[in-house]
Amino acid sequence: MSDSTAVKETAGEPAASPGPARRRGPAGRVRRRLGPLPWIAPSLILIAVVVLWPIVTMIQTSTQNITPIGVTIGSAGAQNYTTLFHDPNLPGILVRTVLWVTAVVGITMLLSLGLAQLFNQRFPGRRVARWALIAPWAASVMMTALIFRWMLLPDNGVINVFLHQLGLVQFNSNESSWLGRPDSALAWMIGVAVFVSLPFTTYTVLAGLQAIPGELFEAARVDGASRWRSYRSITLPLLRPAFLVALLINVMNVFNSFPIIWEMTRGGPGYATNTTTVFMYNLKQSFIGEAAAMSVVNFTLIIVVVLFFLRVSRWNRREAR
Amino acid sequence: MKGRLVASLAIASAALIAAAGCGSSGNSGSSSTTLTLFGADYGTGPANSTTKYWDAIASAFHKANPGITVNVQTVNWTDFPTKVQTLVQNKQFPDILEGDTAPQFAQSHLLYKSSDVLSASVIGDIMPKFLKDTAYQGTPYGIPFTTSTRALYYNKKIFAAAGISSPPTTWAQLQADAAKIKGKGYIGYGLPLGSEEAQAEALMWFLGNGGGYLTSSGTYAINSAANMQSLQFLSQLVKAGDTQPSPGTTDRKDVWAQFAQGKIGMVGGQPALIPIIQQAGVLTPSDYTTANFPGRNGPLASTLGVHDDIVAFNSGGHQAAIKKFLDFVYQNKYQLQFAGEYGLLPATQSAASAMSANPTFSAFFKNIPLSVNYPSNTNWTTVENQIKTTLGQAITGNPQQILNAIQHTALSGG
Repeated sequence: MSDSTAVKETAGEPAASPGPARRRGPAGRVRRRLGPLPWIAPSLILIAVVVLWPIVTMIQTSTQNITPIGVTIGSAGAQNYTTLFHDPNLPGILVRTVLWVTAVVGITMLLSLGLAQLFNQRFPGRRVARWALIAPWAASVMMTALIFRWMLLPDNGVINVFLHQLGLVQFNSNESSWLGRPDSALAWMIGVAVFVSLPFTTYTVLAGLQAIPGELFEAARVDGASRWRSYRSITLPLLRPAFLVALLINVMNVFNSFPIIWEMTRGGPGYATNTTTVFMYNLKQSFIGEAAAMSVVNFTLIIVVVLFFLRVSRWNRREAR
Repeated sequence: MKGRLVASLAIASAALIAAAGCGSSGNSGSSSTTLTLFGADYGTGPANSTTKYWDAIASAFHKANPGITVNVQTVNWTDFPTKVQTLVQNKQFPDILEGDTAPQFAQSHLLYKSSDVLSASVIGDIMPKFLKDTAYQGTPYGIPFTTSTRALYYNKKIFAAAGISSPPTTWAQLQADAAKIKGKGYIGYGLPLGSEEAQAEALMWFLGNGGGYLTSSGTYAINSAANMQSLQFLSQLVKAGDTQPSPGTTDRKDVWAQFAQGKIGMVGGQPALIPIIQQAGVLTPSDYTTANFPGRNGPLASTLGVHDDIVAFNSGGHQAAIKKFLDFVYQNKYQLQFAGEYGLLPATQSAASAMSANPTFSAFFKNIPLSVNYPSNTNWTTVENQIKTTLGQAITGNPQQILNAIQHTALSGG
């Protein structure tokens, strides 16, 4: 940020101030420093109002004692955090959140690598196929989740009807109630989350693939490299920036993902399919302060993950040079 | 560009806030007062939204009292608690709130007493059993607006097909009947212990074993031995396959819809199920009927009675206008219109007596004097939320542990 303004200042100097050296007084310097302010002020205000202010309010709320109906009684100190960390449900929820994020992002990234490779080939109907890939992305996530829930209804969901016709499940049996059992519910929800994450990830990877110059592959072929070898030594390393961006955005998205779980199981039965994001919402019904504390923890977790990724990606860039 | 947008938005919202401020600061003595009414939506869609019901009353009232305008907003039941919580948290109190109201409002000194905002003659007409229930430290702060009681609905066609001649009166009979119904390819008993209304379904089973949420002296007894036994019975009922699968994630609306489609033999319900059955158009009135809910050793002596209340917030200072409006609202015709529209029972005795001749509702009216209400302890809402979220797990998990956790919440705070 400060780097780029400094660059602009020096670059703008000869043109902007052709006058004599009297401009170089302290007042002039301050004025020049403040020069860009009218242009960047709107974005600064936007960031302050839309990003910073809610964060401050969130942290503030997490230290307040608020009754279930929403009346603030006073300060709670660290009480909300203590209660949260002593909640017997929390350890299970944290483990599940890690599982949820790793599974969804891992499967999505793997499938996207393959899909992007496929969409990068020339084949008849490629344009249509590429458009079709957008569909799960364009549709509202909530709608997708709801439709999957209907498809899994124990007595007339289309998936159960199909399995019933194959003689695999009985209607209204325990097996047909996919979303009633925590393990199978989680598996299905991971599937839906992968389904809605694929388009964005595939497009990002596809863009990365298209940016790789064709001559490199030609040269590799001339040198007698196998297809697998050129994929490993050319495609993957050059794909790294696009891959990392997709990975980072997916981790944040999936971690914060709410509508899929909420629409399909409401986090139930009990807390058995809650992730930390859903748990925060569940807490909010009765314990507003504790829910805010959970938000702060979520926020911290995601910041830590993002910083970690930024570090890794910078390290990569340095290595690439 | 974005910045300018934000700036203009800020100016616009500031103007709105100022305008709203003017509206609510107008004292009731001056020429015009605006009341805000926030209510739950009992309808199933825009066609029968409760906003329509209130708007009609508001405009009739405005015609009679040109000085007072009532602005109406309703929100569906799922979002209702969150929306109310947000309004209170941001101190944007409506003048009148209708729906699920919390005893904490009175505790936090946010409300007018019932007698401050309703004429004595009207208060005298409210069913005393329910009015008493809105009391905080002995003084009523709410005005029951609509009520309901529970009974067992059963599908006579399915009963005939399964060779069952009369509705079950004990748990053992219910299970035997459910098994027979299951044999015919239907669901025996619809057991909704999902987050929508687990606290109601569970209470019917607790009452059947002499249990409940409170002791006779009004202290919480959620993890009592009687309640434990009820859950154990339900747990083996589910394991035997005599209910729909996964009761812990099944909501009331799911089993009601399935009953209306003729797929379930028996289900616990209240009068609001009737319009749903009529809308589905599968069952004719002679295909189903109601009976007293079965208990462990005989039919339930008491059933769950629920009342949704009106409370008046004191922050706007519109006591006189609110009183005028509420006296208008509690007219017989509006009570009857509401009950008819949504299949619920009225809250005033005169409307109840006008309606009790109706054969569809007579069974439910009979139950009112016997009804048990939810606790009116100030922390009930918190306890209720935990029951909604966790009780369903008692069926597959460890019921004692879950009841103990709820009892722990109930006893801490409030």
